[in-house]
Amino acid sequence: MAKPLIPRVIFQPAAGAALGRGIGRIVDAVRPTLGPRPRLVSLQRTGRADTPEMLDDAGLIARRIVQLADRDEDMGAMLARQMLWRVHERAGDGSATAAVIFESIYNQGLTYITAGGNPMRLRRDLEAGLAGILDQLAAMTRPLAGRHALEHFAYTVCYDAELAHMLGEVFDVIGEYGRLDIRGGQGRAIEREYVEGMYWEAAPYSREMLTGQAHQRVDLEDVAILVSDLNIESGPDLVPLLDAAAQARERRLLLICQSLAPQALALLMANNQAGRLQVIAVHTPHVGTKQKAALEDLALLTGGQVLLQAAGDSIAGAKYACLGHARRVWADKDYFGIVGGRGDPRALRAHLAELRAAVAAATDPEARKELRERIGKLMAGSATLWIGGATETEIKLRSELAERTAEALRGALMEGIVPGGGAALLGCRPLLRKMAEDAPDAAARVAYRILINALEAPARTVIANAGCDVARVMGEVDRAGPGHGFEVHGERVAPMLEAGILDAASVVRIASAAAVTTAALALTTDVLVHHAKPVKVYEP
Amino acid sequence: MSEPAEISATAGISAAEGVIYALAIGAGPAGRSVCYAASDAGLFGTRDGGVTWQPLYASLDLPEPLPAMAVAVPPDHAADGIVFAGANGGVLRSFDRGATWHVAQLPSPPPLVVALAMSPAFSDDGVVFAATEQDGVFRSADRGGRWVAWNFGLLDLNLFCVAVSPAFARDETLFVGAESGVYRSANGGRAWRELGFPAAAAPVLSLALSPRFAADGILWAGTESSGLFVSNNSGESWQCCLDGEIGAINALATAANLAGSTTLLLLTADALLRSQDGGMTWQDLSNLLEGDGGALCLTAAGGLGAGATIFVGRTDGTVRRVILPASAAL
Repeated sequence: MAKPLIPRVIFQPAAGAALGRGIGRIVDAVRPTLGPRPRLVSLQRTGRADTPEMLDDAGLIARRIVQLADRDEDMGAMLARQMLWRVHERAGDGSATAAVIFESIYNQGLTYITAGGNPMRLRRDLEAGLAGILDQLAAMTRPLAGRHALEHFAYTVCYDAELAHMLGEVFDVIGEYGRLDIRGGQGRAIEREYVEGMYWEAAPYSREMLTGQAHQRVDLEDVAILVSDLNIESGPDLVPLLDAAAQARERRLLLICQSLAPQALALLMANNQAGRLQVIAVHTPHVGTKQKAALEDLALLTGGQVLLQAAGDSIAGAKYACLGHARRVWADKDYFGIVGGRGDPRALRAHLAELRAAVAAATDPEARKELRERIGKLMAGSATLWIGGATETEIKLRSELAERTAEALRGALMEGIVPGGGAALLGCRPLLRKMAEDAPDAAARVAYRILINALEAPARTVIANAGCDVARVMGEVDRAGPGHGFEVHGERVAPMLEAGILDAASVVRIASAAAVTTAALALTTDVLVHHAKPVKVYEP
Repeated sequence: MSEPAEISATAGISAAEGVIYALAIGAGPAGRSVCYAASDAGLFGTRDGGVTWQPLYASLDLPEPLPAMAVAVPPDHAADGIVFAGANGGVLRSFDRGATWHVAQLPSPPPLVVALAMSPAFSDDGVVFAATEQDGVFRSADRGGRWVAWNFGLLDLNLFCVAVSPAFARDETLFVGAESGVYRSANGGRAWRELGFPAAAAPVLSLALSPRFAADGILWAGTESSGLFVSNNSGESWQCCLDGEIGAINALATAANLAGSTTLLLLTADALLRSQDGGMTWQDLSNLLEGDGGALCLTAAGGLGAGATIFVGRTDGTVRRVILPASAAL
């Protein structure tokens, strides 16, 4: 007879202690990665013959830990894991910082609650303290600009001089919203390539349209453009539009459509051979909502009108006035690009302002990423970084590092920088001390003191990971005053901004906010309830 | 008030065919300045303060006139004799004050160069910029030999003017005025950022930077129909300081004055205004612009104070020399 599946329920004090142990497991796994002298964490792969995965990214390490053996501890671990992954997704960095702050708050808070403190009151006071921390961080924030400053900042994130040099140059050109593709390279070095204008991944309907051009590519000047998601099913349907374009003395036409029937393609090829009007037909880029957005952007860029199946448009009814224009168009076997679209630049500015506002308002990381990519496409240029390395593993590791550093650079460009190495968080302590002094009761004072101690955790971890005496160095840092921290490479206490040790303000803000709010929530958890049959979840 | 001297340039520039699009002035040999005028009929130069004008494209032996839309000379013109002239499809450069020319083709499709600007440290860095009508900005870092389009972030490639920071060697900052507003590059023209100039007030026909731009971040933008705008923070935000009734502001010029402020000269088709306090109060000098053609461009040598000489180019192909009077605020 099968054993009955009964949910398990855990009450305090076991619940809080179990959560704490689980949180500690995750935090201990990522703690070695904090600071400029990180140690790697080795993860076993699913295939027995595969080499272990070597990681120094706290967010990725946390994501790889999908379950702990102890189901009570597992709940705490998964709570921490989810928080760390969200920080990684939103900021690209800062997961290890969030982890040590989170653990410190949870452990101190649990001690206080066990001694009779009110968890709901503690949560409220922690969140009030967080508001002060965020204000203080905003006051410390400085803008980041200039190639050398960007390079320096990138180095403080990736500690790879070659990568930092390239990313500094690239972001100086493309800016915070710029489109950057990071791909595996062939050699050992890192190389970059800039592409003028905007391009989309969409192949031409026939390589014959590119034939005769070097590298299977065609470049056209002063081009009329049809932007559509239409299915062109017959050749004669195209004739009115081609005639209208030719009558308007157009010499080149880019036709963007969802599908092109063989007869229609044959007509275009014959037309190209006749030489009156050169036509390049390419697939409509993307699918679904991304396609709708791409078509809208294309129309805006070129000053054309989108022809949509859903609106009842047809190619036979297409008028010359629907066509957009561009100074240059290129196409190769995978992509097509537009340089110098003739759309209204004022409308483009307004459209970009709307997209930027949407990015600021978006809470879903995927939606934000898509919006940012859209803005990047419209910013008239993009870059590709080819990451080299001695082995595939090194290329993969470096590519991940490049992605992470690029994300931190975007954050720093958008929201500025603060003193690094945990110094910005240490700089929030005076405000919290003042809040504790002015607090109306002991409960609030406890909450602020918990935060004061927790904000020291990142700096302490950096010092410990560097193999130095934490108590001695922290004493020196405190004596040195605001803005000072531990410069690991020189093993000295230094003013962090002047020493060029910087953190993206967005990373510190997101990490500290996530740590405080998640810890405050975890501390109000009184009971754990397990499913009778545990469900494995691989997405946080 | 000193009487202005008008010197018609019809000896060198056909008043019937030409429009004077741009003027540039540089120190010549023996301390005499040389003024260059870019017009529909080509490029012309004068070494006698505008009394006589010589066509400078003679050595090219062209079958028909090659219109010049822009002209620029480096600060060290007395020593190097370099002149750049913008044309349709390329930039012409001369190392001997226009006696002979080298043609630098710009990448296809042929762009129409409408403005040229040079780094104040041109003799060291060799950087020169060409603003074009439909193709954005081209940059050369080898004294005009090779040109590359650098339009990252430039949302609008329809340009009217370009202005370089006086401290370009340090801050690498320059601005362009476009159909939709003002854009700034803070890395020597490698990338551009949209600024907070109100799109409704564009297009921007002229730009001028404070002589102390690196310290005060002040610049002015003259528009087609919305007046004059000023920014005190390197272009991040703008305020209107002269309304649109003035008409299209075709040219602006700035110079430091002894009062520690900036003298600003503003040119429309039929008005010449001067401000000695950075645009707060204005002196009307329009009576110095007598003539039929609308004023389109100006160049100044040796400041904008009393007794300084400026040249004004007009749509009827004449160039007028004006000696600026003493200040008398309105």
